[in-house]
Amino acid sequence: MKVNGQLIVMAVLILVSSLSMAVPDIESWETDKGVKVYFVATDGLPILDAKLIIDAGSARDEEKHGVAALTSALLNQGAGNSNAQQIAERLESVGAQLGASTSRDFTTISYRSLTSEKELKTSWQLLKDILNKPTFPLIDFERVKQRTLLRIKQREESPGTLAQLALYEEIYHGHPYANAIQGDEASVQKIQREDLKQFYQKHYVANNLRVVLVGGISRQQAEKMVQDLVADLEMGEKMTRVPAVVLPSEGKNIHQEYPSQQTHFMYSLPVLKRNDPDYFPLYVGNHILGGSGFSSRIVKEIREKRGLAYSAYSYFRPMMEKGPFLIGLQTRNEKVQEASLAVKKTLQEFIQRGPTEEELVAAKKNLIGGFALKLDSNKKLLNNIVGIVVGGVPLDYLNHYMSNIEAVTRQQIVDAFQRRVLVNKMVMVTVGQAVEQEK
Amino acid sequence: MGKLSIVLFIINGLCSLNSFASPHILPNMVHEKVLKNGLKILVKEDRRAPVVVSQIWYKVGASYEHDGITGLSHVLEHMMFQGTDNLEPGEFSKIIAENGGRENAFTGADYTAYFQTMEASRLEVSMKLEAERMQNLKLQEKEFEKELQVVMEERRLRTEDKPQGQTYEYFKALAYTSSPYRNPIIGWMQDLKDMKVDDLAAWYKQWYSPNNATLVIVGDVQSEQVFNLAEKYFGPIPAVAFEPVKKRIEVPQVGVRRGIVKQNAKVPYLLMGFKVPVLNSVEDDTDVYALEVLSGVLSGGSSARLPSNIVRGSQVASSASAGYDMNARLPTLFLFDGTPAQGNSVQQLEEALLQQIKLLQMDLVTQKELDRIKAQVIASSVYEKDSNFYQAMQLGMLETVGVGWQKADEYVEKIKAVTAEQVRNAAKKYLNEDHLTVVHMMSQGGSDES
Repeated sequence: MKVNGQLIVMAVLILVSSLSMAVPDIESWETDKGVKVYFVATDGLPILDAKLIIDAGSARDEEKHGVAALTSALLNQGAGNSNAQQIAERLESVGAQLGASTSRDFTTISYRSLTSEKELKTSWQLLKDILNKPTFPLIDFERVKQRTLLRIKQREESPGTLAQLALYEEIYHGHPYANAIQGDEASVQKIQREDLKQFYQKHYVANNLRVVLVGGISRQQAEKMVQDLVADLEMGEKMTRVPAVVLPSEGKNIHQEYPSQQTHFMYSLPVLKRNDPDYFPLYVGNHILGGSGFSSRIVKEIREKRGLAYSAYSYFRPMMEKGPFLIGLQTRNEKVQEASLAVKKTLQEFIQRGPTEEELVAAKKNLIGGFALKLDSNKKLLNNIVGIVVGGVPLDYLNHYMSNIEAVTRQQIVDAFQRRVLVNKMVMVTVGQAVEQEK
Repeated sequence: MGKLSIVLFIINGLCSLNSFASPHILPNMVHEKVLKNGLKILVKEDRRAPVVVSQIWYKVGASYEHDGITGLSHVLEHMMFQGTDNLEPGEFSKIIAENGGRENAFTGADYTAYFQTMEASRLEVSMKLEAERMQNLKLQEKEFEKELQVVMEERRLRTEDKPQGQTYEYFKALAYTSSPYRNPIIGWMQDLKDMKVDDLAAWYKQWYSPNNATLVIVGDVQSEQVFNLAEKYFGPIPAVAFEPVKKRIEVPQVGVRRGIVKQNAKVPYLLMGFKVPVLNSVEDDTDVYALEVLSGVLSGGSSARLPSNIVRGSQVASSASAGYDMNARLPTLFLFDGTPAQGNSVQQLEEALLQQIKLLQMDLVTQKELDRIKAQVIASSVYEKDSNFYQAMQLGMLETVGVGWQKADEYVEKIKAVTAEQVRNAAKKYLNEDHLTVVHMMSQGGSDES
């Protein structure tokens, strides 16, 4: 057994060393305003991609749930002397793309442009206007607010969305992560234009901004462009950390009656922070448990063996404070008991005994052999760097990624799952019709 | 072919050296070969990362099916992962995973495609496996019964429990009379219940052969090496004689069609579609590219007419968009969909959209609008190159629907050549009431108001 194990480890090592994957160097500097910039120069395509990461997620909403998301939605609706129409026309006349999105931790502004002179200049100036001088026009504020309210109503057309909302409310009870990113009907109704301006002034400041760039420009160009981008930005105050997440004292089952044919099932608790020392054992372990499609245990048990669901999965979502570990599936109402028992049993067995040596080797082969796939486009490279930057891990993280995966042992996985995935505190949410169960 | 490639790669090099050049359209360099058994192979070399995308496209999909067997192509796609003469159920996926690969498959109205993304040196693994399941699929009753349940769950997830999804299904069935596009890709639930493993066996035998497939490889590979591998694994598979699919052209529509779909929804929804031609159905493609530009005028970005005029301007719509797939195999619909803003009805939204169409039929679109669309398609043609997967998709799809992959290269020039008069003509010719189907989705309690 031991000899066998060593042989397998050797095979994996050979796999690692045979991969001469060039990992790009991430250059990093600070602007005069102290804004941290991260840059990778790529050649081959005349494209520049950028992301501005702002510490302005919905966890900063305080009692005005939905204000962070509304603020980011209004950024391109008026800036400087331009209205929404003029901004859109100028941007689209050079084929550039701009978008803002809000998660619980951050608001991110995404930018893509050609690097040819006119295109780059025009679009970068627009990015600058939107970041520095949004005007939050009243007419657009009212319109976007009404659209948000309609979308909040529409959430009730989706049992999957209802399940996720109910789950976050329960596992993050009393924590800012509990609230829906868009807010709820009552809270959004109360939000005024002035609230957005205040939220913007407090959060969209040099101290809460990081800039990531990937593409076909030089370092000097990048330095100049970002320097200019943030030159007029207020320094502001750096946000303090979001409060720590307190785990629920005990597990709970929540059912919401809903007139659908399927019941949506979620089973979860908060576990993983970004840059967590247990990250690699939990990540590799979950790959085997429910994170790798057809080769994972949950898919085998629920879909391949029993035909109970189209999609069944588990994931750890690392956040600034403990993000959820979540198992999810949807099955016809008559089968939810069978499916939930099967998936819980799969989890319990995994926590008790961990993966087999064979499963671990297969998972490592997949993760290490597939490393190149993580970096095969500018977009993916950009997203990886964003992950590194917000995670606060060293910039050479990707250089050590494969050896970190390779070093994970079965014992580490069992140990990490037993300490962190506390089944007696897990919350189960089902949304669907309670009907007599089929065997 | 070889000579041409050298010239084109030099142009590519210039673009990357001088990042302040004016925006260029990066050339597509595709190597093509057809094996003796009819398998067509398309290779695009892209060395930006040591990765390869491999896709195999079969000319079969929901539009090849007839009443009573809908959903067959899609269920067969699922069964392609459930074992062959030499592979256990699930073993295909296991081997790809152990080689660091990612894989999946998709079925559309006009195609069924399977793909793997892998580190470039593993290409042979995927070819060997795809060649195996092209000829040796083993359809087993037990796996079929289970997989059929999975597909029914997929249908419940995507259609039965999604008000807008189900509305779209009813909409298509109303809009089309004799075209196979009237049936859902996933199949009607009753047809799924009636499906037999023998139906799948016959379908597999009929359509899965080298002379009905296109292999598309994009990534860090050399075309000659790809051709050699393809010859080795696919070369020995015999061609199969089969009857071409019946034409089943949609009968002319001779008057507006209207429908109401009641759903368990909170917000009403509007779907409208006009019968239009596609590249595949015309000799002269003027109207087709004009319709493509028309969809850009209406819906190609936040400065386009629908967001400008009825979302921000009159505020009748909370959201509204238009779309057109010029690369469908058969004549299709020029689609509009939208949600009325608070206090507005679906009826008002429909009237606002028809008013926008009337403007396009009366007045010429402006040069500014045409310039914007031109800039967007040029930029997109560069952005697309950031994704090997997208590039392979484009080639595979154009080839499989019968348009031919070379059309991708003409796209930007064709769009640039469209005139304001041609756009107005297309609007007059196609976007008229006799070719229109409208469906109003009513929310709970039968309300059509947001």
